[in-house]
Amino acid sequence: MTADNVIQGLNEDYESRYGFHDPEDYLVKAPKGLGHRIVEEISRYKGEPDWMRRFRHEALDTFLAKPMPRWGNQELLGEVDFADIHYYVKPTDRQSRDWEDVPDKIKETFDRLGVPEAERKFLAGVSAQYESEVVYHSIKEDLEKQGVVFLDMDSGLREYEDLVREHFATVIPPTDNKFASLNSAVWSGGSFIYVPPHTRVDIPLQAYFRINAENMGQFERTLIIADEGSSVHYIEGCTAPVYATDSLHSAVVELIAKKGARIRYTTIQNWSTNVFNLVTKRAVAHEDAVVEWVDGNLGSKFTMKYPCVYLVGERAHGEVLSIAFAGDDQHQDAGAKMIHAAPNTTSRIIAKSISKGRGRSSYRGLIKVHKGARGCKTNVECDALLIDETSRSDTYPTMEIAEQDVRIEHEARVSKLADEQLFYLQSRGIDPDQARLMIVNGFIEPFVRELPMEYAVELNRLIELEMEGSVG
Amino acid sequence: MAELATVTTGALPPVNAHDLAALSERQGDSEPLARLRRAALDSYLGQANPDRVRHLWRYTDPARLLPDPAALATELRGESPPPLTLVPDIPTHGVSALIQPGGVETLRLSREAREAGVVLEALGDVPAVVRILGSVVPADHGPFEALNLAAWSAGALLRIPRGVQLDRPIHLSVPAGSAVSVPRLLVLVEAGARATVIEEHMGGEAGHRVNGVSELIVEPGARLDHVLLQRWSAGVAGHLTQRARVERDGHVHTLVTSFGGATLKADLGSFLVGEGAHSEILGLAVGEGRQHLDHHTVHEHRARHTSSNLDVRVAVTGRANSAYTGLIRIEEQAAHCEAYQQNRNLLLSRRARAESIPELEILNHDVSCSHGATVAPMDEEPLFYLQSRGMSRDEAMRLAVRGFLDPVLQQVPGGLREDVTRALEDRIARMGGGPR
Repeated sequence: MTADNVIQGLNEDYESRYGFHDPEDYLVKAPKGLGHRIVEEISRYKGEPDWMRRFRHEALDTFLAKPMPRWGNQELLGEVDFADIHYYVKPTDRQSRDWEDVPDKIKETFDRLGVPEAERKFLAGVSAQYESEVVYHSIKEDLEKQGVVFLDMDSGLREYEDLVREHFATVIPPTDNKFASLNSAVWSGGSFIYVPPHTRVDIPLQAYFRINAENMGQFERTLIIADEGSSVHYIEGCTAPVYATDSLHSAVVELIAKKGARIRYTTIQNWSTNVFNLVTKRAVAHEDAVVEWVDGNLGSKFTMKYPCVYLVGERAHGEVLSIAFAGDDQHQDAGAKMIHAAPNTTSRIIAKSISKGRGRSSYRGLIKVHKGARGCKTNVECDALLIDETSRSDTYPTMEIAEQDVRIEHEARVSKLADEQLFYLQSRGIDPDQARLMIVNGFIEPFVRELPMEYAVELNRLIELEMEGSVG
Repeated sequence: MAELATVTTGALPPVNAHDLAALSERQGDSEPLARLRRAALDSYLGQANPDRVRHLWRYTDPARLLPDPAALATELRGESPPPLTLVPDIPTHGVSALIQPGGVETLRLSREAREAGVVLEALGDVPAVVRILGSVVPADHGPFEALNLAAWSAGALLRIPRGVQLDRPIHLSVPAGSAVSVPRLLVLVEAGARATVIEEHMGGEAGHRVNGVSELIVEPGARLDHVLLQRWSAGVAGHLTQRARVERDGHVHTLVTSFGGATLKADLGSFLVGEGAHSEILGLAVGEGRQHLDHHTVHEHRARHTSSNLDVRVAVTGRANSAYTGLIRIEEQAAHCEAYQQNRNLLLSRRARAESIPELEILNHDVSCSHGATVAPMDEEPLFYLQSRGMSRDEAMRLAVRGFLDPVLQQVPGGLREDVTRALEDRIARMGGGPR
């Protein structure tokens, strides 16, 4: 048995396992392409306030004026065809709080993804995005009593307009980058969470996303506000059916952790391998706040995602723990950014990546220390595992330090699946396939440990799946 | 990111073919050499300004390094006043030669070198040179390199014949003698030979610009120790490119010491093209005042079983800036490679700045690679300890800087270490404490 054929494509049998899709049957499906007319229609259809309508139009102008990024994988970025995408699809005009009310066809899709199981496991709320609208939404009664708001973004805007208006796009303005301006113009769905002061949400809140219409972009918009001294853990997971032509997913996620608050945001991303996943995620951490991004990138054709924390209050702490898995012809361009804009702020980044087949994974990061941000500490560790001869790994860290009294450490290692480890395990009677699985599992263990149990199980199953096909 | 796309970078100075022809004639170029210059000029004229979106130019404005068009034209036409002959002031084994417009002034080539048939001549005087000139640093490397290949006026060829092992270093001094200096050095170390070359950039006056290129060819089993000693006078700005092509079982050890000038951009690296090739880059940089030091390194592993190591240490005080960007690239076919890269930065004052971007691009799985980077202030504890022993704060700081840089110094090969240590100590002694 050679190393080359042991680990097969993670998504090889994706079509049969996850790639089912329903015949398209939508109440509203905008024609392909983008312009002010589409934006106007989306806004009017949603019955949005005038400021949001104007916000969308301005964002569209920004989008049209902005050039594509000149860094990153230019070849793949060049493949994005903005004209060939549906910018809005609404699967059903009904919001469901009760599982029984969800239309059968949609339910069937969710059944196969295990959403009801999540419900049975006493998770706080399920907010599953099927296409561009949230169709199913429930919140435990005790959360409601605590005053915690957990809605889809559209409902959030309707019911908490002032709160939304105060915070929306303050962390990621539409001018931030081309994809953020695109999202600002055509966003739909996503989650809106508000946690009142000194409220601790003990159970994770979660949303399950799927893309389901061919060439349909998904532009969800998530805003989480953790008020002073509160804490919340939000989880999103994604899988998508396989389609022949490319799909674009471009989300914007804004987190605001006020004084002493704590937010953890966990993502397991497993888009099918035709999806372009170009996402902007950023948090602001005020005094003594803690923001943690736990980020797993398994699927997609091309991912560009650099979760960021702006540490704007003294003693704020930011953390990113991520893994990226790049299989055949996938490029995971993921990383993290930490902006130290206040004294005595600390951050830590642990980024692990696995490249196999013709997969390529890149770590791209930024550590920035502003003038005056004294006493900052940051530590970055990148660990890359290369499985096949054709796999590729890159590390592009950037450190910009404008202050003297700081400690910055960056370390990266790239290695292959070690022969000695394999030999040792095999000498103990473990078959080569199992041995490889054990090594890979050991490699990602620090990440898996941070996941809630269901997700850890799911991730382990995905990794196992990948090893399965390799026997022989 | 987006705002960078519109940053103006300062236009590349125009060069007209007529002026270039005048230079070519004055230098007595053979026709093939003149042709090489013209081709490089074509390449230069077709190149865009450095792209500031890319890391390579993100921290240094090319306008700070580009020669003034009028001064460049004057230089090409040979109308600038003859440079003063500078006698280098550094204490070393002795300078072997001065490289300046018009060629090479050999001062003292050691007897062992002369007897072994070492060639040290003006580039233009060796017709066969066109076959390898520009093969390691071609015109399409970038606009600075293209301009150099077209318009070099101070050029030297150093050839160490097959199997010759030199004990004493060959010290080449390159003064920044006129408003625009365009030196080019070509070093060929033939199979099995071994040599140490000190390339010292020195002198000059405020406002002088240097655009230098060093091409190194290390043949199978040869070893070259290349010391790039930059001790320009205050106010000089320069761009120095060095590349080594290292063949089977060849070794190149580069030591870059960046001490002087106002602005330096150094682009150093090795192409490891033969099995068993090895490259080391060691760096010592000290900056103060408003000095801006930008180091870029490249270790490109193109063959199997190649290895590289890098340790660049930078101490900055006052309002000095340092940018370090480094790349290790392992090509697809290059299995069984080892590559290590380390960049440490010491910030000695509140207004000093350091950026560090150590990059990895690994296209083969059977490798062992790692890198590390740190940016940190001076530890107060040892300073306190030294002061408690009666040292002034400045003295204590100098000692601590020396301690910070020492691990690199210890890796400098024996015969050289003494010279480098002296140059470093000379630099540190002149270092002001600066405001805390």
